[in-house]
Amino acid sequence: MATATASFKEQHLDINGVDTAVFTAGQGKPLVFFHGAGTVTGFDKLLPLASDFQLIVAHHPGYGKSADDTSVSDIHDYVRHHLDVLDRLGVDTFILAGHSMGGWMASTLCFYAGNRVEKLILCSPAGLRDKAHPTTDLFSIPDEEFLGWLTTDMSIFEGHFEVPPTPAFLAGVYRENTSTARIMWDRNYDPKMSKWLHRLTMPTLILWGENDRIVPIEQAAVWKGLIPDSTLKTFANTGHLLIDEKTEVVEAIRTFAKD
Amino acid sequence: MHKSTYPGGNMSVVDKLKFYYFHHHHYSQMPEDTSEIKSVWVNYPNSNYDPAVGHTLYNRHMRTIRLADQLGFDGITINEHHNTVYSMTPAVSLMAAAIISQTKNVKIQVAGVPINLAQPNRVAEEYGMLDVMSGGRMEFAFPLGTGMEYWANSGAINPVTSRERFRESLDIIKRCWTEPGPFSYDGDFYRYRYLNPFPLPLQKPHPKMFIVGSGSPSTVALASDFGAGYSIVFTPIPQQLEAFDKFRELTVAKGNTPDSDDIIIIANVYVSDTDAKARAEVKEYQARFWSWFHRVPPKFLLPPGYVTNSEFLRRVSDAALAHGTEATDEDMALISRQAFGSPQTVADILCRWAEEAGCSRFNLVLEHADMPEWMTVKNMTMFCEEVIPLIRKKGIEASVRGKQQPVSVGE
Repeated sequence: MATATASFKEQHLDINGVDTAVFTAGQGKPLVFFHGAGTVTGFDKLLPLASDFQLIVAHHPGYGKSADDTSVSDIHDYVRHHLDVLDRLGVDTFILAGHSMGGWMASTLCFYAGNRVEKLILCSPAGLRDKAHPTTDLFSIPDEEFLGWLTTDMSIFEGHFEVPPTPAFLAGVYRENTSTARIMWDRNYDPKMSKWLHRLTMPTLILWGENDRIVPIEQAAVWKGLIPDSTLKTFANTGHLLIDEKTEVVEAIRTFAKD
Repeated sequence: MHKSTYPGGNMSVVDKLKFYYFHHHHYSQMPEDTSEIKSVWVNYPNSNYDPAVGHTLYNRHMRTIRLADQLGFDGITINEHHNTVYSMTPAVSLMAAAIISQTKNVKIQVAGVPINLAQPNRVAEEYGMLDVMSGGRMEFAFPLGTGMEYWANSGAINPVTSRERFRESLDIIKRCWTEPGPFSYDGDFYRYRYLNPFPLPLQKPHPKMFIVGSGSPSTVALASDFGAGYSIVFTPIPQQLEAFDKFRELTVAKGNTPDSDDIIIIANVYVSDTDAKARAEVKEYQARFWSWFHRVPPKFLLPPGYVTNSEFLRRVSDAALAHGTEATDEDMALISRQAFGSPQTVADILCRWAEEAGCSRFNLVLEHADMPEWMTVKNMTMFCEEVIPLIRKKGIEASVRGKQQPVSVGE
């Protein structure tokens, strides 16, 4: 088992006028990770992957250390943005992983540029409409309950912000919520997602926390049923922030990506 | 430092004051125990609405509006909110149509449909219809809509783009009223093949327009850009005065003459025989106005993207806005104007505010929370029969002084 001694190198790219923070670690086959609708806990939990791959995490516009892009209005704007990021980095083919909103983004990228994606890993992806088991509307969760909806293990937030939160921290969260609202205020899914998932012909690993309160575990079977070459692995006593919650999740990504 | 730049000439704003009876149309029945209720906006269960009580209240509210017309108020102001006990008027144009038929003299200020929640061409024709029906008695104030309205309405109306949409909708409405139709429109939010509203307003070039803001520079600029007046809500008085100065500055920069009639001050007023009596009588109702009718969590006040990050920071640092349900009456009083006292005291306060602000328009709230009807009637009557004459007298005195030396304001 590799130790997480690597650290991220931060660089900034001007992508069509939007200052984009790109974090890379390690060498080897590029493994690109699309994060979800928040950056509060950071991405150090992914660093073990850097011992086998060139790990690439670009903050989406409007999140973390990337600048805002007020022209964003749907998921496709993010996909086009990231295709430009990858071209600028000289990344041709790669392994793609995405969590939550980032899983929605990764699936959408594969509709258009699936031939560049050798393997796909979807961690509790958002973006699918399942009327029987709908994705929770993030905006409707009362503020005081929010963190509890994200995880089964509140210790994952320790050290990431002060309690009670400072006004500056709250303003940072408000900014990321604003970015999320740009694409999800109306709907937190693509109504046509299920129609096109057959285009995801690359080997695909679907990972899910069995206690996910944001994207219900019942959706996992729908994704698996619609993506031709996919396997599903679930984690007991695990919520939506599965990468933060269980080191086994990152190990599962590594094993699948290396095979 | 506030400096008034209004062109008063030799005439005091006090001479020109207009008083509008601003009615919120509260659903004033309250549950016995309100301690566990976190919000009376957006998600307050509508099982708490009793249509029979609603019917009684609509009748009562219309009685006081007719009384306002008879007592000699210059106008009636009504507004619109959704999913809330704060207002029983989720369709303010419907209420305006009813008021038109029940009044003869007063101006009717519709303040107004949050135009983002409606199709702008429909607002233009609806408002045109009201102006024609009323024989030209209408005025229209345009609000962005509180944060709560965005939670209460379709997700297709995104708070993140609310300000851009608002500007575009205003543009469409004003062009509908000032350019001959039909014409097409290609905007970011709306595309029209044939903008051609029937009927057009009676008043030309169009009824008086105001933009409703809370002191943000972008809204002040918007009012100036559209040649509209500016009305302000829930903002500390010093920031109100700064916004008014900025509004006049932008008006002058555009080559136009600022007019005290273009600025609206909103105030809660209660009159009684003495200051002590007034404060004692209004106390419990004023407290409930803030603690019940304004009970709303910060989340609903500020949906994502509704304000900029810097404005969000300012607001989470402001007690009245940040603490929502825990804000005290004192916190809330800081973001409003309150004139409670004897006729002389109220007259003095209003005149001082008008002179400081270079403003000759008041929207006055005279019914507070669940106040009984007789108190509202008493308050309205005392205001018209005792306060207004004192103010008119002051106006004459100020004008006489003004002929000898320029009126000095804001010092």
